[in-house]
Amino acid sequence: MNDTVKIGKCVIRTDLHYLVDSHCWVRFNDDGTLTVGITDVAQNMAGPVLHVYIRKKGMRQKGQNLATIESGKWVGPLKAPVSGEIVEANLALEKDPGLVNRSPYGDGWVMRIKPLKLEEERGALLSGAEAVEAYRRKIEEQSIKACAEVAECEPK
Amino acid sequence: MGCETSKYAAVPYEEKLRLFEQVKGDERFAHYLYGCYECGVCVAVCPSARFYDFSPRWIAQALAREDADLVYKFMNEDVWDCSQCFSCDKCPRKNSPGGLITILREVAVRNGLKSAKDALEGYGRIIYKIISTGTQVAPDMLQPAAFPDWGPHVKEISENLQWWRRALPPETLHTTETSWDVSEQTLRELYLIWHVTGVMEMIKQVDEGLHMILMDVMEEKLEEAGFDLEATAED
Repeated sequence: MNDTVKIGKCVIRTDLHYLVDSHCWVRFNDDGTLTVGITDVAQNMAGPVLHVYIRKKGMRQKGQNLATIESGKWVGPLKAPVSGEIVEANLALEKDPGLVNRSPYGDGWVMRIKPLKLEEERGALLSGAEAVEAYRRKIEEQSIKACAEVAECEPK
Repeated sequence: MGCETSKYAAVPYEEKLRLFEQVKGDERFAHYLYGCYECGVCVAVCPSARFYDFSPRWIAQALAREDADLVYKFMNEDVWDCSQCFSCDKCPRKNSPGGLITILREVAVRNGLKSAKDALEGYGRIIYKIISTGTQVAPDMLQPAAFPDWGPHVKEISENLQWWRRALPPETLHTTETSWDVSEQTLRELYLIWHVTGVMEMIKQVDEGLHMILMDVMEEKLEEAGFDLEATAED
């Protein structure tokens, strides 16, 4: 089964949940925790990531900062998609922040959280075709150019 | 045309006047605007006027005439074309169009105007660096993807940055994330200054995400040092 959709050059996985406004993806794990990361759209907008500063423990309310992601000219937060307790941070990102670019939905995951009030907050998370459509709209409305399939002008 | 305001006809005049009053109410305003001889010196020396449809004289004159419509237009467009070099301070009437533009920009930022958000969007990491470390330019900003116009040399710089920086004689420059080593004491003092002077509130208006991550960095440091941020904000 093909579980990815491309918007321009950006990949959206249809088996994940998204908080589109925060460019955040969420995977529901069997143990009740959620794995969280930034989307392929976000990593394309940021460009090569240089640093990822991750909160390693504590409670976070929905919308609060989980991690600060820095690229050459950009910096931004990964906002908590739901309220919860941080149970694991992907420490590999501290040594190799480029994982966020190379594998945003895989090895570039940022953290696992134990949700506090998931039933109340999960309504904001979109998945499948609904998420793809919402992302497509956001990319169009905000004229996000990072997903456009254009020739790279990086020096060879 | 440079002084066409019809694009902003839908914005209520009261709103334009409110913003103009904030500009005029700034204590620097009276020291930056005395009148205009129409001599054009400010335009002649202005580097931005050479490249854009931009004139420091238009801005000084619109403010002197209290033309809130035109000032609003300038606040949304022209003020972001100024390079803030203050060459226009050569004004024989002792005006400072560059200083007036500083005030206009600050009012645009404080009021969260879209033009301010758009203008500052590309400078997120630079603002983050200044506010969180006190140093504006990080050597590791030199990335091939960010500076394609620098040519192939930038790739070599970015790959060897860590070693080249270590070759610099002062140890305080052996850094890649900041321009130089910044002491904890300096950081604590900086963070307090940003808070008590209202800079953090300005940042909140233009970039809520940036404000959030800066508060994260600061809270930890200031708490470690025993400062009470909330009490400081109330002072």
